[in-house]
Amino acid sequence: MTHRADASSALDNRGYAGPLIRGANPITLIETAVRDRITESLYWKEQCFGLNAATLLDRAVDLSYIGGTYGVGMRPTPFLCLAFKLLTLTPEKEIVLEYLNMGGEEWKYLRALAAFYVRLTFEPVDIYTTLEPFLTDARKLRRRRKEGYVLMHMDEFIDELLTKDRSCATSLWKLPGRQQLEDLDMLEERVSPLQAELDELDEMEQDQDGDPRNGSESGASPLVRSSSSEG
Amino acid sequence: MSHLKKTAYEAAASDTDFRKTWDRSEYEAKAKKEQDERREEGRARYEAKLEGKKWHKPVDFSTLDATSSRAGRVDVASMVGKSTLIPAGSAIGKRGRGAGFYCEACDLTYKDNVQYIEHLNSKQHLFNTGQSGEVARATLQDVRNRLEMLKQRKREREEEDKRMGEIDLDARLKKTEDIEEREREERRRKRNEKRRKGGQNGIKTEDSGWEGRLGIIS
Ligand SMILES: [Zn+2]
Repeated sequence: MTHRADASSALDNRGYAGPLIRGANPITLIETAVRDRITESLYWKEQCFGLNAATLLDRAVDLSYIGGTYGVGMRPTPFLCLAFKLLTLTPEKEIVLEYLNMGGEEWKYLRALAAFYVRLTFEPVDIYTTLEPFLTDARKLRRRRKEGYVLMHMDEFIDELLTKDRSCATSLWKLPGRQQLEDLDMLEERVSPLQAELDELDEMEQDQDGDPRNGSESGASPLVRSSSSEG
Repeated sequence: MSHLKKTAYEAAASDTDFRKTWDRSEYEAKAKKEQDERREEGRARYEAKLEGKKWHKPVDFSTLDATSSRAGRVDVASMVGKSTLIPAGSAIGKRGRGAGFYCEACDLTYKDNVQYIEHLNSKQHLFNTGQSGEVARATLQDVRNRLEMLKQRKREREEEDKRMGEIDLDARLKKTEDIEEREREERRRKRNEKRRKGGQNGIKTEDSGWEGRLGIIS
């Protein structure tokens, strides 16, 4: 099996005959304007040409930040270009999991890249079960913004992918809420590995100020949400 | 055959190893084939022209290699050095070697690196360099092997950095030792100087400092 070095067959939307994701050419998961910026970028033309799912790793291990577009010209980050390249390659699920686990242990930006791809292409239940284990990955990530960089952590990025509707210049398709899938018996309730610690913390606080807080709160949210997700 | 009755020319030729002695029938067959191809090509080109189309020589895909990813960045810096002033109005992909980015395989010159890279990605260039433009799909095993290779490379680099760091640390320690040694040396020299001064007079002077007195005592 082969694919075009310049991804031309994947980029040709009308004559597209490749694998579909949610009934469409996977490249359409990235907005048209951003797609054009990617394929016009030097990084795409020079560094993404001729890659397959194995040689793409050469580039991914060199990533030093995540992000969508940056600068006044809204230039696409190498992170976004590689995510887009993956959408044209549509690697098998086992390959994506290899990126996430074996590769992701060694290279955090490779894990972030694979996680982003998982959020775009996997089925809802698989998205939760595949990504949630990395809510305990506290490694720091640099993120390129319109101006400059900000610091965040892997768990925050994973949480963003699971709870937000936009990430890295891409609108994320509507993922059913965790609770919804639990109610349909499609997902088991998630017990955060941090839950025991959180409970302990609650108890300590209660002991200290004698404030009998409602105990149900600690068990209500199965996900560790970032502080900015509400409000 | 021809090589049995050697002419002076053929005898001379056989002395030089780089000249291939053709079997006449083989040669003739080859010439005939080429002539046929040319004739066929001319006919096809003529027919295409009648239909208002441009004719392209068909590509024998079986002889092409799969395209692979770039080993590194396109070395633009080294080419810039070779290029001089770009003449005004130089066309995209100018025939022949000129000022700018030159592709040897296609004999075309481009005026900037983006155009040059676009050319490297083009069908025309891929065919001219014997590539199909098709990339082999990676298997899970390919991905695993790649990860192993990259991990090993990373380890080696870390080892190297560590070694260089140690060398660096050793050098710094050595430098500090050298400086301290020099300072000790300098203090010793001063002390001795004072002692010698004191010794020269042989008399303890009123305003001689602490060190001077020490010198006399010792
Ligand atoms: Zn060329």
